[in-house]
Amino acid sequence: MPSAVDIAAFDASVCAREDQEIFRVEHATFSYLERFPALNDVSLTVRRGEKVALLGANGCGKSTLLKVLDGLLFADRGSFHAFGAEVTEANLEDEQFNEGFRTRVGFVFQNSDAQVFSPTVREEIAFGPLNLGLSIDATQQRVHDVMRMLEISDLAERAPYQLSGGQKKRVAIASVLAMNPEVLLFDEPTAALDPRTQSWLIDLILELNQSGKTIIIATHDLATLDVLADRCVVFSEDHQIVADGPPGTILRDTELLISVNLLHDHAHDHGSTSHTHPHDESHHDSHREH
Amino acid sequence: MSTAALAPEWLTAREIALCPCGCIGKRRKANFVEKTIIGAANVLKQAMFSADVASQPGLLQRIQPAVKVVTMLALLMATAVVRHLSILVALYAATLAIAVASGLPLWFFVKRVWLFIPIFTGVIVVPATLNLITPGRVVIPLGTWFGHSVGVTAQGLTSAGLIVARVATSISLVVLLTLTTPWNKLLAALRTMRVPKMFVLVLGMAYRYIFYLLETVTDMYTARKSRTANHRNNTSSGRAFVAATAGATFGKAHALSIEVHDAMVARGYTGNARSIDHFQIVKRDVVWVLACSVTIAATLGVNYALGS
Repeated sequence: MPSAVDIAAFDASVCAREDQEIFRVEHATFSYLERFPALNDVSLTVRRGEKVALLGANGCGKSTLLKVLDGLLFADRGSFHAFGAEVTEANLEDEQFNEGFRTRVGFVFQNSDAQVFSPTVREEIAFGPLNLGLSIDATQQRVHDVMRMLEISDLAERAPYQLSGGQKKRVAIASVLAMNPEVLLFDEPTAALDPRTQSWLIDLILELNQSGKTIIIATHDLATLDVLADRCVVFSEDHQIVADGPPGTILRDTELLISVNLLHDHAHDHGSTSHTHPHDESHHDSHREH
Repeated sequence: MSTAALAPEWLTAREIALCPCGCIGKRRKANFVEKTIIGAANVLKQAMFSADVASQPGLLQRIQPAVKVVTMLALLMATAVVRHLSILVALYAATLAIAVASGLPLWFFVKRVWLFIPIFTGVIVVPATLNLITPGRVVIPLGTWFGHSVGVTAQGLTSAGLIVARVATSISLVVLLTLTTPWNKLLAALRTMRVPKMFVLVLGMAYRYIFYLLETVTDMYTARKSRTANHRNNTSSGRAFVAATAGATFGKAHALSIEVHDAMVARGYTGNARSIDHFQIVKRDVVWVLACSVTIAATLGVNYALGS
């Protein structure tokens, strides 16, 4: 059970200042089944309104950190504070604490099939608000508004198996946005999406950030990084944070990107794909150097 | 070092794929891989067809699902107590009329109902027509068995007709309900009828993920098909593949269930299922309830009047 002080600190976050620290992870270490390490002494602080990209190769611990930030996994060692209160398994068992935390943090999973589990799109989007105690009328209003915003109103009564990958991603995002969270966690948001849906999603993420939402994205897509993030946190393959800085600086550090397996030293010899992106100046620079 | 530099020589050489002489190979029948892929596609096709039928405008589609569930249950109970073939035939004819009024393809409806009859009732009905089980006047003699004459009796035929008509009418009522109600609305109706929400939630998720797992299995079979160049029958490798597919599907289902649970918890789920549905009874629902009540009353009344 959380102490009264914990809950008071948690609730005080509602009237927090713009530059307030919202997440603080300290020396977090986590292993799956106590055998497969995923986080190794990871420390990270996220401030309100930031766009943070967690960068790293497959299996480096990005998704695990997102799950820790969403209170789905708990570090074996170290601590995690959100909005001034420590987030632990015991604290989340408290209804008030759980509701407060879940309302403020939304998580868009990489696998939309896992996230879209209800019989219809409408019920899927309503799931979060209903669980957070909103009335049926208020929930219906939110479902309607979010569907209209994401242009999926015509899918309302569709079953998930009748949706394309892009549509499922939209529904997954809608189901999270309906809860109006302050922080949005995205796990590989642009993976397996066609270019048009990718572009739509990037615009949406930027819009959400401009409206004051804090964005944390786990990705290894370097092409969209300077648009999607104003801060990059780089993971090494031994599950540690090895760099933290603005995208420009990180993307110019070719040696770092090669060492964490985000860039292949041979990649520059091959044509055009990553070099044609208009925003990715660092790739042009590194290409010229090579 | 690049992957190309490490490639063995055979990998960079071309295989002789199609015979250059243009000869034609032996035709073969579809094996279990193809049949499974086709079967999976048919399941999906059926589900889409049912969804389409349920969403088209028709008599039953306009009735509130909860009202439909209750009235169909009442009609099923009435059907169960009827003891006269003529009444059951009349009820069956009524289900056909409702199917037509609901825009269901009549042949499809009849086929779906009668497909189950031989399976569910044949085992019981066929022996019951014989004088060995139901004594009476033999109308179709079949010969002798251990010195006894065996034949189909009039009483046996009447009993069999009664059972078949009752089963056909009951299945028709259930098919009418399921074909004219979208699955999600049916679940919502169960929730409004005080069926435990947790039970309905699990049922809904099971139905939703059947299609996902079906897709997974289809992918595995398609991957095997794409790598099968020689169609020599190999039963043991086939069995091993089916077992491996089943194992992999269980594994995937388990991993998926953990992910789904995380996704639910992330959106505030704490073990209480909640629903957005609320139904409003309108005039046509009242008319439907009245029509069903009159039908049930008339059925029971005539059944009583005709006696046993």
